[in-house]
Amino acid sequence: MFRYNIKLALKSMRRNPIMTGLMVAAIAVGIGVSITTLTVYYLMSSNPIPEKSDVLFAVTMDSWDPLRPFDSDFPERGPHQVTFSDAERLMALRAGKHQTAMFESSLVIEPVAAEGLPFEAGARVAFADFFPMFEVPFIYGSGWDSRADAAAEPVVVLTKKLNERLFGGEDSVGKRITMQDTQFQVVGVIDTWEPTPRFYDPINGGFQDVNDMFIPFALTRTLELNSAGSDWGWKSEDITSFEQHLNISESVWIQYFVELESPKDRGDYVAHLDAYVEAQKKFGRFQRPMNNNIYSVTEWMEYHDVVANDTKVLVGLSFLFLTVCLLSTIALLLTKFVGRKGETSLRRALGASRRAIFKQQIVEVAVIGLSGGLCGLFLAWLGLQGIQVLYDAPAGLVSLDWVMTLTAISIAIVSSMVAGLYPAWRVCQIPPATQLKTQ
Amino acid sequence: MGIGPMISTLRRNLTGPLLVALQIAVTLAIVINSLFIILQRIEKMNRNPGIDVENVIVIDVRGFGADLIVTDNITNDMDLIKSIPGVIASTVSNAVPLSGSGSGTVLRTIADETIDPVNTGRYIWSEEGLDALGVELSRGRNFFPEEVNYILPDSSVAAPPSVLITQDLADQLFGDEDALGKTVYWGNMEASTVVGIIGRMHGSWVNWSNLSNVVVQPGKPAYTNNRYIVRVEPGMRDELIPIIEQKLGDSNLRRVVNNVRPLEQMAANSYRQDRSMAIVLLIVITLLIGLTALVIVGLSSFHVTQRTKQIGTRRALGATRTDIIREFMLENWLITTAGAVAGAILTVVIAYWLEVSFALPRLDWRLLPAGIGILWVLSSLAVIEPARRAASVPPAVATRSI
Repeated sequence: MFRYNIKLALKSMRRNPIMTGLMVAAIAVGIGVSITTLTVYYLMSSNPIPEKSDVLFAVTMDSWDPLRPFDSDFPERGPHQVTFSDAERLMALRAGKHQTAMFESSLVIEPVAAEGLPFEAGARVAFADFFPMFEVPFIYGSGWDSRADAAAEPVVVLTKKLNERLFGGEDSVGKRITMQDTQFQVVGVIDTWEPTPRFYDPINGGFQDVNDMFIPFALTRTLELNSAGSDWGWKSEDITSFEQHLNISESVWIQYFVELESPKDRGDYVAHLDAYVEAQKKFGRFQRPMNNNIYSVTEWMEYHDVVANDTKVLVGLSFLFLTVCLLSTIALLLTKFVGRKGETSLRRALGASRRAIFKQQIVEVAVIGLSGGLCGLFLAWLGLQGIQVLYDAPAGLVSLDWVMTLTAISIAIVSSMVAGLYPAWRVCQIPPATQLKTQ
Repeated sequence: MGIGPMISTLRRNLTGPLLVALQIAVTLAIVINSLFIILQRIEKMNRNPGIDVENVIVIDVRGFGADLIVTDNITNDMDLIKSIPGVIASTVSNAVPLSGSGSGTVLRTIADETIDPVNTGRYIWSEEGLDALGVELSRGRNFFPEEVNYILPDSSVAAPPSVLITQDLADQLFGDEDALGKTVYWGNMEASTVVGIIGRMHGSWVNWSNLSNVVVQPGKPAYTNNRYIVRVEPGMRDELIPIIEQKLGDSNLRRVVNNVRPLEQMAANSYRQDRSMAIVLLIVITLLIGLTALVIVGLSSFHVTQRTKQIGTRRALGATRTDIIREFMLENWLITTAGAVAGAILTVVIAYWLEVSFALPRLDWRLLPAGIGILWVLSSLAVIEPARRAASVPPAVATRSI
């Protein structure tokens, strides 16, 4: 019976190719546009580390200007980064399960082979805990240990990409590279790791590539590493050396993340921060009211508006677009079904029940919805390619995964069914035979 | 045929026309709001930056090694760049306008911390800086060469005796008073004198509300990474970029030349979000208008086929071709107008949602009548062909049975 329904549906679709084409096109365009924008939204708002997002926290402490808040639009917020000296002292206390202070820098890598050219590479300067707390996957070797942190050992973890450029992708653990006149020993190479959004540093960009390499934070002092990321200050200071820049400057340029044993420990950790700040107040620092906060990964993404407003506007408008497409489909179906009064009347007269007629219409609508959905998927794929080019997104960032594919197909079928219900119901109301009389 | 019988025809079969009107309403709301956003973005991208963007090249270099003397590198590089034919002027700068990365500071007109300061972008460049960007001084003077010294990282610099500020910054600081010759105070309450006013110049962050607030102090920043700004003769930019890259690379092997690129490219990058949004919305409304128009054509054609017999009868009873065309057009006009009225309300609702939720500027109401006008024209165009076909139904059809 179902095959018969399908056969009839196809026959009916073929009888009126323009109407059918319009309906399929309407659904396809609606699905194409809304799935494109929804995919972008879904990728931007996705949880980059779901298994840990409730135990990883960004740490903020209000060390800002006593006279005015860090962000006048959000006066309740402290600065989003911490000073170098606070980062160092907090790290020494090790109050969480794992913690890392970090910042972005860049170093010149001198050629490994004689004929190579030196080049500048981006580095994330962090602590050993960075790798276990953010679950960074390794191909070769591993991260460094806390001994390397304490002794400021020149060790380096490379990304897969940089390892390919420097060592042709081979196991380079134990090899050396020269940066800042210092021999760095490679201790590990990480596998492709592209948390999207880049949750640990939305400040310098939530959708950028991971830095080329990772080196110990303690090297900041010995190698006088500068920040290549954002740096905010409020106090005019008489800084005359790099050492003062690290030790006494109130400018905030270090990001601080902590991993707690359980989300329940949140209050304890904030209390720990409060105690730290209380002690610092004795030195005349932290003159603002006590305002220390930690933000879970998802809270941190919201704090930094990782999902651009433009994306939200586009999702809203494109779903209105889908509404227009559905209204079109209903209008077209209604016209088409009602225009087939004669045939329906005849089938009813020959013994088809209302149910059978209804089922027939719904099958036809589902076939149209499915075709529209498939075409729409293709359009969405095309749209995402366009978005990738327009926004110059890293390759592979914008792609249709199976979740979005299933969503697209379900939206197509469900919405065309909804659109088809009323016209189908109208058709069922046609009494048998009456329509036959007139013609 | 008057409007009365037509309405009664429409009422007899209300669902179809209602759906079309509803579709027109939502289409109108999307199109007008999208169009408004597109116009906003175009206006933003077309602001005059006050910089000769097309002829400026930006170079990003970094020296390395134990024997590195950054100031020597900069001096040599400047000499080398200036020796290349076609180069008009060049400077080392702490930041590049329109690039998305830069430095900001606060200024006051009174040395009092409790007064809210004015936020501004801050540049440090040599006496050639203005020329290297093609920025024009409207009044006052440029820096004297003797005012321009190397600025080393982590060294506390005394406030420069003279600074240049943009007219917009001058207006924000001094209001109606003339800023030239006046004193401004930095965050640390040190004072500088305004020696020149830049008519117009954009700073680094194109999305910042204080984009056109700029203060320039004399100096040659000798940081780890050095940014050079070079202006060349019109039309020579693309030809000179590889030459500069080659010469800089060859001249010093203990230095990485990261980037030699047109400022135009960096500026385009900064506006990428806006440009992309405008393009995406343009595609969306084109598809939308196309779809709605096609559906109207499709439905009208279908109705013509449906009503062939009725039209034939009316023609046989004396209705002229014009009557039939007018009837179809009028029916379409009624539906469109109903849609436009509902659409106007929906447009305002959506505009309000955008304004409140996303801090978008308030909708320009003039777009609404413009949109409705275009809608009338488009929907009339969509129905002309089906109406013509309807009018061409011969009266004899009425007598034939189907």
